[in-house]
Amino acid sequence: MSEDIHACLAELEDIPGTRVFTAARARQGYWLNQFAMSLMKAENRARWKADERAYLADWPMTDTQKAAILARDYNRCLDLGGNIYFLAKLFSTDGLSFVQAVSTMTGMTLEDYQAMMLAGGRSPDGVRSIRKGR
Amino acid sequence: MARMTAGIGCSHVPALGVASDLGKTQEDYWKPVFAGFEWTKAWEAVARPDVVILVYNDHATAFDMKVIPTFAIGCAEQYQPADEGWGPRKVPPVIGHADLGWHIAQSLILDEFDMTIVNEMDVDHGLTVPLTMMFGQPDAWPCRVIPLAVNVVTYPPPSGNRCWALGEAIARAVASFPGELNVQIWGTGGMSHQLQGPRAGLINQPWDNRFLDGLVGDSDALRRIPHIEYLRETGSEGIEMVMWLIMRGALGRMTRCLHRHYHVPASNTAVGHIVLEPVT
Repeated sequence: MSEDIHACLAELEDIPGTRVFTAARARQGYWLNQFAMSLMKAENRARWKADERAYLADWPMTDTQKAAILARDYNRCLDLGGNIYFLAKLFSTDGLSFVQAVSTMTGMTLEDYQAMMLAGGRSPDGVRSIRKGR
Repeated sequence: MARMTAGIGCSHVPALGVASDLGKTQEDYWKPVFAGFEWTKAWEAVARPDVVILVYNDHATAFDMKVIPTFAIGCAEQYQPADEGWGPRKVPPVIGHADLGWHIAQSLILDEFDMTIVNEMDVDHGLTVPLTMMFGQPDAWPCRVIPLAVNVVTYPPPSGNRCWALGEAIARAVASFPGELNVQIWGTGGMSHQLQGPRAGLINQPWDNRFLDGLVGDSDALRRIPHIEYLRETGSEGIEMVMWLIMRGALGRMTRCLHRHYHVPASNTAVGHIVLEPVT
């Protein structure tokens, strides 16, 4: 079942509203994700909460990545190589649940997002492929 | 000789663990999710497996970006519930089965599956939530557990076909273990869900149910589903379902369904659950 790697990678970029965590993103977001990982430790969380900018100064990230983190702009973090399971350390430190944090990426209010989930979630119709518009 | 007696598929949504730990399982929101596991709790009390091979993924807990093993098997005596950022879950420690774990690891490597061997790690909700769903809240877990962690975070994860073949190899390894053991294999994660970006919240009930259908009987069509189909149809985190194929592959040519449950939503996710036994 060997597949053409270039065709595979191109397809991963063809999903609306989705950043698949490819090697390219993993490399771009390496320190962003490792920073988030550091928040697993209570002493680091305390230092982070005391002074976020000072904490970020220790990490070799781009200014854009740091700005996205400080703004809690999760879509921007994804664009810059962040992965949701690593970013979860950041929003958990803020006291946010997955539902609360995830809803901020959808352009919906938390209430509307939760109502959508209770009604069965977002339909895949129309958001399967950018190219094919289906 | 050790016997592979059953397979279980189930989601491992962290919020299920929180609901159980905070005593919320009878609240309106959670009640229907947990109700579908009551059958399995009663069945497990009779089935009494000695060992569960628990296929799951680590969520940036034991493994960060430094080392990314595709397939990692736990060969330790014991594993502690991890602190995922809000303190460890107050659930019992997970007792391993080092003899069987090492036997499977050696067998798999000789069978050309180049496993990563793990002797120390904490286990996150991916592993402890399924234990809670199947066993409730005991003082000690009623069986030993061999963690089998699969990378489904950094692309590419292993193909569905490779996962199925790994399951087949695990079944051969278990069958060659010299010792009377009742072994189950659980595949966890899924079903449809997407936790990121503007498309977050995606759920595909018809697709999920076709996947559950496909685990039963003698078809092996599921092993040929490409990654891109999981992503398009079931959301970016729906890819976790490849881990169910390791479970299915380990049950042999034909399965019978003993129990099945499906519920939307739990937090951002469709919860699926199935109990299968091999038909020989």
